Amino acid sequence: MGGLLELEALRRTYGSLVALDDLSFTVPSGQVVGFLGPNGAGKTTTMRAIFGLTDLEAGVVRWDGTPVGRAQWKRFGYMPEERGLYPGMLVGEQVEYLGRLHGMSPNDAQSAAQKWLEQLGIADRAMSKVEALSHGNQQRVQLAAALVHEPDLLVLDEPLAGLDPAGIDAIGRVLVDRARAGCCVLFSSHQLDLVEDLCEQVIIIDHGRLVVTGTVDDLARHGARRLVVRVEGDRAAEWTRTVPGVSVSEVSGGAARLVLGDEVDSDVVLRAAMAAGRVTQFTFERRRLSEVFREAVQ
Amino acid sequence: MRAIYILIVVAVVLALRIFLRQRRRQGHRRDATSAATSAEQAGPSEAVDDGRASVAPRRDGFGSGAHLGSVGLVARREVLERVRGRIFRIGTIIILLIVGAAILIPKIHSNSTTAPQKVGIVGAPDPTLTQLVRYSGKQSQTAVQMIAEPSLASAESAVRSGALDVAIVNGDRIIVNQPFSANSSSDTASLVQVLAPELGVLHAYQQAGLSLQQIEHVAQARAVPVQSLQATPVRGVTKGTSVIGVVLIFLMLTQYNTWILMGVMQEKASRVVEVLLAAVRPAQLLGGKVLGIGLVAMGQAVLIVGFAFAVSKAVGSDLLHGTGPVLLLSELVWLVLGYAFYCWLYAAAGSTAERQDQVQTLALPLSIPILVAYIYSITVASSGNPSLLFKVLAYFPPTAPFAMPVLVGLSLVAWWQFLISVVLSIAGTAVMAWFATGIYRRAVLRSGQRVSLRDLRNRGPRQSAPRAAVGSS
Repeated sequence: MGGLLELEALRRTYGSLVALDDLSFTVPSGQVVGFLGPNGAGKTTTMRAIFGLTDLEAGVVRWDGTPVGRAQWKRFGYMPEERGLYPGMLVGEQVEYLGRLHGMSPNDAQSAAQKWLEQLGIADRAMSKVEALSHGNQQRVQLAAALVHEPDLLVLDEPLAGLDPAGIDAIGRVLVDRARAGCCVLFSSHQLDLVEDLCEQVIIIDHGRLVVTGTVDDLARHGARRLVVRVEGDRAAEWTRTVPGVSVSEVSGGAARLVLGDEVDSDVVLRAAMAAGRVTQFTFERRRLSEVFREAVQ
Repeated sequence: MRAIYILIVVAVVLALRIFLRQRRRQGHRRDATSAATSAEQAGPSEAVDDGRASVAPRRDGFGSGAHLGSVGLVARREVLERVRGRIFRIGTIIILLIVGAAILIPKIHSNSTTAPQKVGIVGAPDPTLTQLVRYSGKQSQTAVQMIAEPSLASAESAVRSGALDVAIVNGDRIIVNQPFSANSSSDTASLVQVLAPELGVLHAYQQAGLSLQQIEHVAQARAVPVQSLQATPVRGVTKGTSVIGVVLIFLMLTQYNTWILMGVMQEKASRVVEVLLAAVRPAQLLGGKVLGIGLVAMGQAVLIVGFAFAVSKAVGSDLLHGTGPVLLLSELVWLVLGYAFYCWLYAAAGSTAERQDQVQTLALPLSIPILVAYIYSITVASSGNPSLLFKVLAYFPPTAPFAMPVLVGLSLVAWWQFLISVVLSIAGTAVMAWFATGIYRRAVLRSGQRVSLRDLRNRGPRQSAPRAAVGSS
């Protein structure tokens, strides 16, 4: 397992709408990569393009340097945004069938289906029809169908949407495990906190163009420093007005979230806070992914 | 002997039902055993949830068929899903019951034994009259029993009371209880309708002074043969069989094409097609679906025809009597060719829709050529006089599946004409498959509104991959 997914200069238009506009990025193996963007940014079109499910007017998708085709797609796993399963088919057979279509032998497909259904906690529903399952369990079946042939590349469009915390944990755990096993994992989501927890790298697109890419750590370190300060008796954080170069981005529950200018010394801020009252919290905070996202797509 | 055949057919049907039921139960038991084993191995943390069994996927599911390619796997899924469906199984049993009833009921009706017609003879015994009554009974397929009546009064009394059905008075008058309507088909009416003119002729012979030998000689007269200058066509089969064949082809084509239409639409509506096309080519997916449903269709057709012949042979029915192997083979060939031609058209249409109402809108225009060909063929099969237009339509792929079997049934085509029609149909099917696959590739991934032909003409840039709709993001 292992490989590199490269998207180079993808372009796709629908009439006057430009869905993909010279979009290029790479996705390395061994990492969970978050694929972010506002609605209509081109995420689903990009994912479909990886599987040849949409026309490209320009650009190329490569896997390990080779333009992708039928042989590569057999080794990819795909979970579309609008879930695609046969409603009246038995869960176990459905997963097994999709494994066979990806080239697995009968025995391998059967044991792999059993394994993934167990791992996702739905082995007891193997003989149920898909339509009889809850939304969350259907989601798990869909993921099992994408995983059954142990793909080199896993592309998941909104895999966590509508799941309860237990479902999110189960699927998140599987994604991280697959990445550790050397799989290339790319998934889209609007749940930025979850993406921040699960991903090592994120790619943010808007209007079909790449706007930000990098590791979560790098993105968090960049930009202005942030402090969370709580001063007893000053729930409105009035004391911050006395410190030049400090702006308040949010005051919540008595805690002020501050953005420090480059020239501001944090010691000065601490002294100003202590002068205003008893300081119960003084914490440097990483830039959150949601802030990175908002800044990127503004 | 016939009773044994009937018993065998009934036993086979019952055995099949019992086998299927036991197999289902075994499946449930195996699942439960597997669940228990799985639960034991997993321990308390993986206990059975809400009473459902924890099971391995069934061995007779998609794990077998080791050497099937993508088309074979898709076809296999179609076959298993269709055959397992309750609607299919119940529908097949209902069709078999209808076919069985259509063969058995007329036979039972024709075999029902009725009481002989009691014919009272008033007057002196007359061997010629006795012979004539027996002859009339044979001609009208009615058993007769003659009873000598001492007087006209006693005969009338017996007829009135029902002790006699008919009374013949002195060989020149017939008495019945009730007058007959013009279309009466009772045994008494049938007998009298033959007996009355025969008695009239006998009476005329006697009045003309013919001797008994002369009367017998005249009675044995036979019609002279009629020789036509044109060769008489060999009508190897009955018109009825041709009509039944056309009706079966129509019903089966309609049913199986609807399966294709609905199947493609449902795959598109459930978005499973997106997952499938990430693994297989559109042509493979469509080919597998068409092949799978085609195999189910042929299996069902062979079962129905085989059952009809078995029952017909068992009871000695003449419903299929005279049906030569040529017509049977012809009808099966044209069922296959008809399915092969139309299935692509219905698949292409199904790929443009993703809702039930959209499918219903499509179904009517698609069925028009089938309906026209069916009605025209039924008319010709009944009349036995095909026009030039009908003979031309027997070579036109959309109408040939109906028209050509009728011409075969009427023994109006030579083997090479049949072959030309088959070749033309195969060529038409190839064109249709190419055309339909193109539409399918472009339409099946477009979601939202129903895809129109105009949308399909506006093709995007060429790419080996399937086409897709506007992404949702």
